Amino acid sequence: MRANDAINGLILIVLAAVMIAMTSTFPAFPGQPYGPSLFPRVLGTLLIICGALLVWRGLAARRGGEGWVEMAGWTREPWRVVSFFLMLVSLLGYILVGETIGFIPVAVVILFVLFLWFGVRPLTAVITAVVGTFVIHWFFSTLLRVPLPRGVLDAIL
Amino acid sequence: MDAFITAAGLVFDPHVLWVIVASAAFGMFVGAMPGLTATMATALLVPVTFFMDPVPALGAIVTATAMAIFAGDIPAALLRIPGTPASAAYADESYAMSKKGELDLNLGVNLVFSVFGGLVGVLLLILCAPLLAEAAINFSSFEYFWLALLGLTCAIFMTTGDPLKGLTSLIFGLLINCVGIDPTAGHPRFTFGSIELLQGISFIPAMIGMFALSELLRGAVTVDERNAVIAQKIGNIFNGVWAVAKKYWFNFLRGSALGVFIGALPGAGADIAAWISFAISKKFSKTPEKYGTGHIEGIVDSTSANNSALAAAWIPALVFGIPGDSITAIVIGVLYMKGMNPGPTVFLENPQFIYAVFIVFVLANLLMFPLGWAAIKSAKQILRVPRNMLLPIILLFCLVGAYAMTNSFYGVMIMLVFGLVGWLMEENGFPIAPAILGLVLGELLEQSFMTSMIKADGNALVFFERPIAGVLGAVTVLVWGLMLWRGFKGQKATLAPT
Repeated sequence: MRANDAINGLILIVLAAVMIAMTSTFPAFPGQPYGPSLFPRVLGTLLIICGALLVWRGLAARRGGEGWVEMAGWTREPWRVVSFFLMLVSLLGYILVGETIGFIPVAVVILFVLFLWFGVRPLTAVITAVVGTFVIHWFFSTLLRVPLPRGVLDAIL
Repeated sequence: MDAFITAAGLVFDPHVLWVIVASAAFGMFVGAMPGLTATMATALLVPVTFFMDPVPALGAIVTATAMAIFAGDIPAALLRIPGTPASAAYADESYAMSKKGELDLNLGVNLVFSVFGGLVGVLLLILCAPLLAEAAINFSSFEYFWLALLGLTCAIFMTTGDPLKGLTSLIFGLLINCVGIDPTAGHPRFTFGSIELLQGISFIPAMIGMFALSELLRGAVTVDERNAVIAQKIGNIFNGVWAVAKKYWFNFLRGSALGVFIGALPGAGADIAAWISFAISKKFSKTPEKYGTGHIEGIVDSTSANNSALAAAWIPALVFGIPGDSITAIVIGVLYMKGMNPGPTVFLENPQFIYAVFIVFVLANLLMFPLGWAAIKSAKQILRVPRNMLLPIILLFCLVGAYAMTNSFYGVMIMLVFGLVGWLMEENGFPIAPAILGLVLGELLEQSFMTSMIKADGNALVFFERPIAGVLGAVTVLVWGLMLWRGFKGQKATLAPT
């Protein structure tokens, strides 16, 4: 997804303006003009200047016939769009239910679904999903002692 | 000398050697796979090294990146796709050689000159770093402010892309660094009441997101694309390398020296070193018309340059805590986690760690001979690893890695958000590396800026009063002036060779 630079610039200007506005609540110290708000304000101002230059350039490109938003070729193929979002949804799913269900079951499901969607044969997908999950779990949880969420395994084991 | 013996003892420990060999194999694989970069190898390694002692942790990163930078040359020759951006400068040239039937010679030259280029880089790292550290002991906040700013300036000046977007990306990174407790007054900024944001944006998950997840997202939409590997058989790769070395020894020296210089400049790394040395090689060649038709000369220059730059990038990282490239940006994060804050004092307090890094670097470059040979021999098998199985597994690895850095879902969230932001940035032509540099250097820049402002009581001239600070400041201002002037004249503002 390639947006016109005017849109990119506008987003950056809004972001910088909000951040500068937020700095007004930062405390100032009597007798010393350099407080926690100085650095973000300097950066915010610079970002606004960059954003303005981008807007100017984007508008020129727009007059030259460039569209506001240009979608990449793959966005017209539903299979690829789903592939893209499946990666994100997998992570989101882990964030949402990982704690209660636990790492092992969620990871097996994530791997299995992604494998299948990417065209791996079902039997290979099942085996690789299970083996892959257990190897990563063994490596991080046993070897490196990362407290990966146990979830439902707590009730079973 | 005592420190050196201690360091050797730390490195030549069976466990450490095992870690080095394993990360070498890992680096070879990641480098040789198109779409997986040396920076990504580092990002994926960090969560693992987090749990190690300093020496194996640094050893793993040093070895993996050295291997990955070389291994990136292999798919460049076989597929015309550089395995890492550092090989992009001469991918076309390499591929043209393969098509002419000189695949063996190309791979042999890449391997041999990568090893020796790397060794030149290490040699200069060993010679320069302690000397610079001695000078840096007397640095005050003014010098550090200018060094940090110069590093960030170079990151813009040396990009191959759009300077305005590079600058925007850099400022964006610096602004993100403002999240959390501010370094001078201790006031929480932009935390929205979140306890986790108080410590700032966790750097490693952010980087895993930007460098690894965004790459996976790009890979996911092209997962079914197959690459046509060149059918030629790989024979004896060392045939004819000696003749090339005799003919082009000066190119090797020039490439390595240039690589060291560019690598040591804060903010510019192996990929830029390769681009610039290739361009210079062509400019000063007796036969510039042969470039692009499968001519070995430019490859000698740039394959030496990218490996020497990799080692030299550690000079500013270790001495000043200012990263020479995006890999050392990650390394600095690791150093802080290990409690060995980079800077001149590390040379006094923990010299054994510094020497250990040197030893590992030499070891890694020597190890590159047998392992590189093995990687070349098995290149066709490596390139046949199905991407539809690789991508989900790397995704899971990123997920667990980000989780491990904070031991909570916060890390995964940071990774997800930054992965998406990084993907959007790349799609719109904003380079990622400056944002990461901003994120790493932001704290040093702000702290030295605020301390200096308070010391100088707002008088900008004081920033130039100390001699070294004055020189650094003048150079920084000069580079900015040069960029503005070139931009004003309608030229490209950056040193971007095309």
